[in-house]
Amino acid sequence: MHARFGRSRLRRALLGVVFLGAGSSLAHAYTVTLDPASPQTIYLQVGVGSFTADYCGGTTYPPTHATPNCGPSFGGGTPEKNTTINTVSVTLATGSVGNKTAQAMTTNSTAANSFLDGYAFCNVPSQLYIGGFFRTAGGTTAAATVTATVPASLTSTTGTTIPFSQIQWTTSGNGDADAEPFTEGAFVSGGVQTVGTVASNSWAESCWTFSYLNTVVPAAGTYTGAVLYTMSAP
Amino acid sequence: MSAARCPATFFLGLALTIILAQAASAKSITIDDSGTMALSPSVSMRWRTATPSRSGGGNSMIGSMSVRVHINVAPWLKHSGRIYLSLPAQQPGPMGLTWTTQGRFLPGQVQSGNRVLVYSGPITTPFMEDTLTFQFTLDGALMRRAVPVSYHFEMDED
Repeated sequence: MHARFGRSRLRRALLGVVFLGAGSSLAHAYTVTLDPASPQTIYLQVGVGSFTADYCGGTTYPPTHATPNCGPSFGGGTPEKNTTINTVSVTLATGSVGNKTAQAMTTNSTAANSFLDGYAFCNVPSQLYIGGFFRTAGGTTAAATVTATVPASLTSTTGTTIPFSQIQWTTSGNGDADAEPFTEGAFVSGGVQTVGTVASNSWAESCWTFSYLNTVVPAAGTYTGAVLYTMSAP
Repeated sequence: MSAARCPATFFLGLALTIILAQAASAKSITIDDSGTMALSPSVSMRWRTATPSRSGGGNSMIGSMSVRVHINVAPWLKHSGRIYLSLPAQQPGPMGLTWTTQGRFLPGQVQSGNRVLVYSGPITTPFMEDTLTFQFTLDGALMRRAVPVSYHFEMDED
Protein backbone atom coordinates (compact mmCIF):
# COMPACT_ATOMS: atom_id res chain seq x y z
CA MET A 1 0.00 0.00 0.00
CA HIS A 2 2.75 2.33 0.96
CA ALA A 3 4.68 1.45 -2.18
CA ARG A 4 1.67 2.15 -4.47
CA PHE A 5 1.15 5.53 -2.85
CA GLY A 6 4.75 6.31 -3.53
CA ARG A 7 4.42 5.48 -7.23
CA SER A 8 1.33 7.62 -7.49
CA ARG A 9 3.13 10.63 -6.09
CA LEU A 10 6.02 10.03 -8.42
CA ARG A 11 3.68 9.91 -11.41
CA ARG A 12 2.10 13.23 -10.42
CA ALA A 13 5.51 14.77 -10.03
CA LEU A 14 6.56 13.60 -13.49
CA LEU A 15 3.35 14.89 -15.03
CA GLY A 16 3.97 18.21 -13.38
CA VAL A 17 7.38 18.43 -14.97
CA VAL A 18 5.98 17.60 -18.38
CA PHE A 19 3.25 20.23 -18.16
CA LEU A 20 5.64 22.88 -16.92
CA GLY A 21 7.94 22.09 -19.79
CA ALA A 22 5.15 22.45 -22.33
CA GLY A 23 3.97 25.76 -20.87
CA SER A 24 7.46 27.08 -20.81
CA SER A 25 7.99 26.15 -24.44
CA LEU A 26 4.85 28.00 -25.54
CA ALA A 27 5.94 31.14 -23.72
CA HIS A 28 9.36 31.19 -25.34
CA ALA A 29 8.47 31.54 -29.01
CA TYR A 30 6.24 34.19 -30.47
CA THR A 31 4.15 33.20 -33.45
CA VAL A 32 2.62 35.53 -36.01
CA THR A 33 0.49 34.63 -38.99
CA LEU A 34 1.54 35.75 -42.46
CA ASP A 35 -1.59 36.08 -44.53
CA PRO A 36 -1.54 36.58 -48.33
CA ALA A 37 -4.52 38.90 -48.08
CA SER A 38 -4.77 40.26 -51.63
CA PRO A 39 -2.31 38.34 -53.74
CA GLN A 40 -4.18 38.39 -57.07
CA THR A 41 -3.92 41.23 -59.52
CA ILE A 42 -4.85 41.34 -63.18
CA TYR A 43 -4.12 43.93 -65.88
CA LEU A 44 -4.86 43.92 -69.59
CA GLN A 45 -4.15 46.70 -72.05
CA VAL A 46 -5.24 46.64 -75.70
CA GLY A 47 -4.27 49.88 -77.42
CA VAL A 48 -3.82 52.71 -74.99
CA GLY A 49 -3.75 52.07 -71.25
CA SER A 50 -2.96 54.10 -68.19
CA PHE A 51 -0.21 54.10 -65.63
CA THR A 52 0.45 57.10 -63.43
CA ALA A 53 4.05 56.85 -64.73
CA ASP A 54 6.16 54.08 -66.15
CA TYR A 55 6.23 51.43 -63.50
CA CYS A 56 9.99 51.52 -63.13
CA GLY A 57 10.10 55.30 -62.96
CA GLY A 58 10.74 58.12 -65.36
CA THR A 59 9.42 58.66 -68.84
CA THR A 60 12.43 57.61 -70.87
CA TYR A 61 14.20 54.37 -71.58
CA PRO A 62 16.18 52.85 -69.90
CA PRO A 63 14.15 53.10 -66.73
CA THR A 64 15.28 54.64 -63.49
CA HIS A 65 15.13 51.26 -61.78
CA ALA A 66 15.07 47.62 -62.73
CA THR A 67 12.51 45.32 -61.21
CA PRO A 68 12.02 44.53 -58.38
CA ASN A 69 12.99 48.07 -57.35
CA CYS A 70 10.06 49.62 -59.17
CA GLY A 71 6.69 51.02 -58.26
CA PRO A 72 5.63 54.01 -56.20
CA SER A 73 8.31 53.46 -53.55
CA PHE A 74 10.95 54.13 -56.20
CA GLY A 75 9.19 56.89 -58.11
CA GLY A 76 7.34 54.57 -60.46
CA GLY A 77 3.69 54.53 -61.40
CA THR A 78 0.70 52.31 -60.79
CA PRO A 79 -1.88 50.97 -63.24
CA GLU A 80 -5.10 52.85 -63.81
CA LYS A 81 -8.37 52.15 -65.57
CA ASN A 82 -8.67 53.40 -69.14
CA THR A 83 -11.97 53.14 -70.98
CA THR A 84 -10.70 54.23 -74.40
CA ILE A 85 -11.77 52.08 -77.34
CA ASN A 86 -9.18 52.24 -80.09
CA THR A 87 -9.88 51.61 -83.74
CA VAL A 88 -7.98 49.78 -86.43
CA SER A 89 -9.01 50.81 -89.93
CA VAL A 90 -8.24 50.91 -93.62
CA THR A 91 -9.67 52.86 -96.54
CA LEU A 92 -9.75 51.13 -99.91
CA ALA A 93 -9.62 52.90 -103.24
CA THR A 94 -12.51 52.00 -105.51
CA GLY A 95 -10.30 50.17 -107.95
CA SER A 96 -8.71 47.93 -105.35
CA VAL A 97 -11.83 46.56 -103.67
CA GLY A 98 -11.85 42.79 -103.77
CA ASN A 99 -8.58 42.45 -105.67
CA LYS A 100 -7.27 39.86 -103.17
CA THR A 101 -4.33 42.04 -102.21
CA ALA A 102 -4.22 42.38 -98.44
CA GLN A 103 -4.45 45.95 -97.26
CA ALA A 104 -2.47 47.12 -94.23
CA MET A 105 -4.57 48.60 -91.46
CA THR A 106 -3.55 51.33 -89.02
CA THR A 107 -4.64 52.20 -85.54
CA ASN A 108 -5.51 55.41 -83.76
CA SER A 109 -3.80 54.03 -80.65
CA THR A 110 -0.80 56.05 -79.54
CA ALA A 111 0.54 53.31 -77.27
CA ALA A 112 4.06 52.57 -78.47
CA ASN A 113 5.98 52.33 -75.19
CA SER A 114 5.68 49.62 -72.58
CA PHE A 115 4.40 50.95 -69.28
CA LEU A 116 6.74 48.53 -67.53
CA ASP A 117 9.90 50.43 -68.34
CA GLY A 118 9.17 52.91 -71.11
CA TYR A 119 10.75 50.79 -73.83
CA ALA A 120 9.51 51.71 -77.34
CA PHE A 121 8.09 48.28 -78.09
CA CYS A 122 5.51 48.96 -80.81
CA ASN A 123 5.44 51.18 -83.89
CA VAL A 124 2.36 53.31 -84.26
CA PRO A 125 0.16 53.71 -86.18
CA SER A 126 0.94 50.42 -87.92
CA GLN A 127 0.89 48.32 -84.73
CA LEU A 128 -1.52 47.87 -81.85
CA TYR A 129 -0.04 47.28 -78.39
CA ILE A 130 -1.46 44.43 -76.34
CA GLY A 131 -0.02 43.53 -72.94
CA GLY A 132 -0.77 42.64 -69.38
CA PHE A 133 0.03 40.47 -66.41
CA PHE A 134 -1.57 38.59 -63.60
CA ARG A 135 -0.20 38.17 -60.15
CA THR A 136 -0.93 35.09 -58.09
CA ALA A 137 0.66 33.75 -54.92
CA GLY A 138 1.52 30.16 -54.17
CA GLY A 139 3.75 29.35 -57.12
CA THR A 140 3.41 29.12 -60.84
CA THR A 141 -0.10 28.41 -62.01
CA ALA A 142 -1.67 27.81 -65.38
CA ALA A 143 -1.42 30.81 -67.67
CA ALA A 144 -4.16 33.35 -67.96
CA THR A 145 -5.87 33.37 -71.32
CA VAL A 146 -6.91 36.32 -73.42
CA THR A 147 -9.89 35.83 -75.68
CA ALA A 148 -11.54 37.89 -78.36
CA THR A 149 -15.31 37.95 -78.61
CA VAL A 150 -15.95 38.61 -82.27
CA PRO A 151 -19.22 39.46 -84.04
CA ALA A 152 -20.04 37.63 -87.23
CA SER A 153 -19.39 40.62 -89.43
CA LEU A 154 -18.61 44.27 -89.79
CA THR A 155 -21.74 46.18 -90.70
CA SER A 156 -22.37 49.29 -92.76
CA THR A 157 -24.99 51.94 -92.05
CA THR A 158 -27.17 50.41 -94.74
CA GLY A 159 -26.95 46.92 -93.23
CA THR A 160 -24.55 45.30 -95.68
CA THR A 161 -21.77 43.24 -94.12
CA ILE A 162 -18.19 42.05 -94.39
CA PRO A 163 -17.22 38.83 -92.58
CA PHE A 164 -14.89 39.48 -89.64
CA SER A 165 -12.70 36.70 -90.99
CA GLN A 166 -11.49 39.22 -93.58
CA ILE A 167 -9.22 40.66 -90.88
CA GLN A 168 -5.97 38.99 -89.80
CA TRP A 169 -2.91 40.05 -87.87
CA THR A 170 0.75 39.27 -87.36
CA THR A 171 2.63 39.68 -84.10
CA SER A 172 6.05 41.01 -83.12
CA GLY A 173 7.78 43.51 -80.86
CA ASN A 174 10.82 45.72 -81.24
CA GLY A 175 13.92 43.84 -80.09
CA ASP A 176 11.85 40.78 -79.29
CA ALA A 177 13.37 37.49 -80.46
CA ASP A 178 11.22 35.25 -78.27
CA ALA A 179 7.88 33.72 -79.13
CA GLU A 180 5.13 36.26 -78.69
CA PRO A 181 2.61 35.70 -75.90
CA PHE A 182 -0.12 37.16 -78.11
CA THR A 183 -0.08 35.09 -81.27
CA GLU A 184 -0.86 35.90 -84.88
CA GLY A 185 -4.21 34.91 -86.31
CA ALA A 186 -7.36 35.84 -88.12
CA PHE A 187 -10.73 36.65 -86.63
CA VAL A 188 -13.47 34.07 -86.62
CA SER A 189 -16.73 35.26 -88.06
CA GLY A 190 -18.72 35.21 -84.87
CA GLY A 191 -17.46 33.51 -81.74
CA VAL A 192 -14.90 33.57 -78.98
CA GLN A 193 -11.31 32.78 -79.83
CA THR A 194 -8.12 32.64 -77.77
CA VAL A 195 -5.58 35.21 -78.89
CA GLY A 196 -2.88 34.86 -76.26
CA THR A 197 -1.70 33.53 -72.94
CA VAL A 198 -0.07 35.27 -70.03
CA ALA A 199 2.18 33.25 -67.72
CA SER A 200 1.62 33.86 -64.03
CA ASN A 201 3.72 36.62 -62.50
CA SER A 202 5.21 37.73 -65.80
CA TRP A 203 4.72 40.85 -67.88
CA ALA A 204 3.55 39.82 -71.39
CA GLU A 205 3.27 42.14 -74.38
CA SER A 206 3.13 42.03 -78.17
CA CYS A 207 2.45 44.34 -81.08
CA TRP A 208 -0.19 43.36 -83.60
CA THR A 209 -0.14 44.42 -87.23
CA PHE A 210 -3.58 44.10 -88.79
CA SER A 211 -4.49 43.67 -92.42
CA TYR A 212 -7.68 43.38 -94.43
CA LEU A 213 -7.66 40.32 -96.70
CA ASN A 214 -9.74 42.04 -99.38
CA THR A 215 -11.13 38.90 -100.97
CA VAL A 216 -14.77 39.98 -101.02
CA VAL A 217 -16.57 42.76 -102.90
CA PRO A 218 -18.95 44.52 -100.56
CA ALA A 219 -21.09 47.53 -101.38
CA ALA A 220 -19.45 50.89 -100.88
CA GLY A 221 -19.75 52.21 -97.37
CA THR A 222 -18.18 52.40 -93.93
CA TYR A 223 -18.15 49.08 -92.13
CA THR A 224 -17.60 48.84 -88.39
CA GLY A 225 -17.52 46.16 -85.75
CA ALA A 226 -16.24 45.88 -82.21
CA VAL A 227 -14.16 43.09 -80.73
CA LEU A 228 -14.11 42.60 -76.98
CA TYR A 229 -10.89 41.30 -75.39
CA THR A 230 -11.13 39.47 -72.10
CA MET A 231 -8.39 38.19 -69.83
CA SER A 232 -9.25 35.23 -67.62
CA ALA A 233 -6.90 34.07 -64.84
CA PRO A 234 -7.16 30.63 -63.22
CA MET B 1 46.36 -1.61 -10.39
CA SER B 2 47.00 0.08 -13.60
CA ALA B 3 44.32 -1.91 -15.33
CA ALA B 4 41.85 -0.93 -12.62
CA ARG B 5 42.57 2.79 -12.91
CA CYS B 6 42.24 3.07 -16.63
CA PRO B 7 38.46 2.61 -16.77
CA ALA B 8 38.02 5.17 -13.99
CA THR B 9 40.04 7.72 -15.89
CA PHE B 10 38.06 7.04 -18.98
CA PHE B 11 34.73 7.55 -17.22
CA LEU B 12 35.94 10.67 -15.46
CA GLY B 13 37.07 12.10 -18.75
CA LEU B 14 33.78 11.27 -20.35
CA ALA B 15 31.84 12.84 -17.52
CA LEU B 16 33.84 16.02 -17.75
CA THR B 17 33.26 16.15 -21.47
CA ILE B 18 29.53 15.88 -21.01
CA ILE B 19 29.48 18.53 -18.33
CA LEU B 20 31.50 20.91 -20.47
CA ALA B 21 29.22 20.34 -23.43
CA GLN B 22 26.17 21.07 -21.33
CA ALA B 23 27.73 24.20 -19.95
CA ALA B 24 28.51 25.48 -23.45
CA SER B 25 25.00 24.88 -24.79
CA ALA B 26 23.41 26.30 -21.66
CA LYS B 27 24.93 29.74 -22.30
CA SER B 28 22.30 30.52 -24.91
CA ILE B 29 18.88 30.47 -23.30
CA THR B 30 15.53 31.26 -24.81
CA ILE B 31 13.92 34.17 -22.99
CA ASP B 32 10.38 34.12 -21.71
CA ASP B 33 8.46 36.51 -23.99
CA SER B 34 4.98 35.52 -22.86
CA GLY B 35 4.22 39.19 -22.14
CA THR B 36 4.75 40.17 -25.76
CA MET B 37 1.71 41.45 -27.64
CA ALA B 38 1.19 41.92 -31.36
CA LEU B 39 -0.59 45.15 -32.23
CA SER B 40 -2.39 43.47 -35.13
CA PRO B 41 -3.70 39.91 -35.33
CA SER B 42 -1.83 38.95 -38.48
CA VAL B 43 0.56 40.22 -41.11
CA SER B 44 -1.17 41.11 -44.35
CA MET B 45 1.28 40.09 -47.07
CA ARG B 46 1.30 42.03 -50.33
CA TRP B 47 3.44 42.03 -53.44
CA ARG B 48 6.66 43.98 -53.05
CA THR B 49 6.15 45.16 -56.61
CA ALA B 50 2.66 45.38 -58.01
CA THR B 51 3.87 44.50 -61.48
CA PRO B 52 6.02 41.50 -62.41
CA SER B 53 9.00 41.75 -64.73
CA ARG B 54 9.16 40.37 -68.27
CA SER B 55 11.36 37.51 -67.07
CA GLY B 56 8.96 36.59 -64.31
CA GLY B 57 11.20 37.83 -61.48
CA GLY B 58 10.34 40.21 -58.68
CA ASN B 59 7.86 37.99 -56.89
CA SER B 60 8.63 38.82 -53.30
CA MET B 61 5.83 39.47 -50.87
CA ILE B 62 6.23 41.74 -47.89
CA GLY B 63 4.16 42.48 -44.82
CA SER B 64 4.60 44.62 -41.74
CA MET B 65 3.36 44.53 -38.20
CA SER B 66 4.18 46.10 -34.86
CA VAL B 67 4.83 44.07 -31.74
CA ARG B 68 5.12 45.30 -28.18
CA VAL B 69 7.98 43.12 -27.02
CA HIS B 70 8.02 42.34 -23.31
CA ILE B 71 10.67 39.85 -22.24
CA ASN B 72 11.43 38.51 -18.81
CA VAL B 73 15.13 38.93 -18.08
CA ALA B 74 14.79 38.62 -14.31
CA PRO B 75 17.02 35.52 -14.21
CA TRP B 76 19.90 37.66 -15.45
CA LEU B 77 19.25 40.70 -13.29
CA LYS B 78 22.44 42.51 -12.25
CA HIS B 79 24.43 40.54 -14.79
CA SER B 80 25.55 41.43 -18.28
CA GLY B 81 24.30 39.60 -21.30
CA ARG B 82 23.67 39.65 -25.01
CA ILE B 83 20.16 39.30 -26.34
CA TYR B 84 19.55 37.98 -29.83
CA LEU B 85 16.47 37.86 -31.99
CA SER B 86 16.34 34.41 -33.55
CA LEU B 87 14.29 33.49 -36.60
CA PRO B 88 14.50 29.70 -36.94
CA ALA B 89 14.40 27.99 -40.32
CA GLN B 90 10.78 26.97 -40.74
CA GLN B 91 7.94 26.51 -43.14
CA PRO B 92 6.93 27.71 -45.65
CA GLY B 93 10.61 28.32 -46.56
CA PRO B 94 13.38 30.91 -46.55
CA MET B 95 12.30 34.33 -45.35
CA GLY B 96 13.80 37.60 -44.27
CA LEU B 97 12.89 39.81 -41.36
CA THR B 98 13.86 43.43 -40.82
CA TRP B 99 12.78 45.55 -37.89
CA THR B 100 12.98 48.98 -36.42
CA THR B 101 12.78 49.76 -32.74
CA GLN B 102 12.10 52.64 -30.41
CA GLY B 103 15.57 52.49 -28.93
CA ARG B 104 15.62 49.86 -26.21
CA PHE B 105 16.74 47.20 -28.69
CA LEU B 106 18.86 47.51 -31.80
CA PRO B 107 17.23 47.57 -35.24
CA GLY B 108 18.38 44.93 -37.65
CA GLN B 109 17.64 42.24 -40.15
CA VAL B 110 17.94 38.48 -40.20
CA GLN B 111 17.42 35.60 -42.58
CA SER B 112 15.61 32.54 -41.34
CA GLY B 113 17.94 30.07 -39.69
CA ASN B 114 19.98 32.84 -38.08
CA ARG B 115 19.95 35.24 -35.16
CA VAL B 116 21.02 38.86 -34.73
CA LEU B 117 22.12 40.84 -31.69
CA VAL B 118 19.52 43.29 -30.38
CA TYR B 119 21.00 44.14 -26.98
CA SER B 120 24.34 43.89 -25.23
CA GLY B 121 25.05 45.17 -21.75
CA PRO B 122 23.96 45.03 -18.15
CA ILE B 123 20.54 43.70 -17.23
CA THR B 124 19.22 46.29 -14.81
CA THR B 125 15.50 45.59 -14.82
CA PRO B 126 13.55 42.32 -14.57
CA PHE B 127 11.70 43.06 -17.81
CA MET B 128 12.76 44.74 -21.02
CA GLU B 129 10.25 46.34 -23.36
CA ASP B 130 10.27 47.95 -26.77
CA THR B 131 7.93 48.29 -29.72
CA LEU B 132 9.34 46.67 -32.81
CA THR B 133 8.01 47.14 -36.32
CA PHE B 134 8.67 43.98 -38.26
CA GLN B 135 8.73 43.54 -42.02
CA PHE B 136 8.67 39.98 -43.29
CA THR B 137 9.82 39.18 -46.83
CA LEU B 138 9.43 35.89 -48.63
CA ASP B 139 8.84 34.45 -52.06
CA GLY B 140 5.23 34.74 -53.13
CA ALA B 141 5.47 31.23 -54.54
CA LEU B 142 5.57 29.97 -50.96
CA MET B 143 2.43 31.81 -49.90
CA ARG B 144 -0.31 29.38 -50.79
CA ARG B 145 -2.21 30.14 -47.62
CA ALA B 146 -1.83 31.88 -44.29
CA VAL B 147 1.18 30.48 -42.44
CA PRO B 148 2.37 30.77 -38.83
CA VAL B 149 5.90 32.05 -38.33
CA SER B 150 7.77 31.93 -35.03
CA TYR B 151 10.69 33.85 -33.64
CA HIS B 152 12.16 34.18 -30.18
CA PHE B 153 14.73 36.02 -28.12
CA GLU B 154 17.82 34.33 -26.75
CA MET B 155 20.17 35.37 -23.95
CA ASP B 156 23.88 34.70 -24.03
CA GLU B 157 25.35 35.30 -20.60
CA ASP B 158 28.70 37.07 -20.39
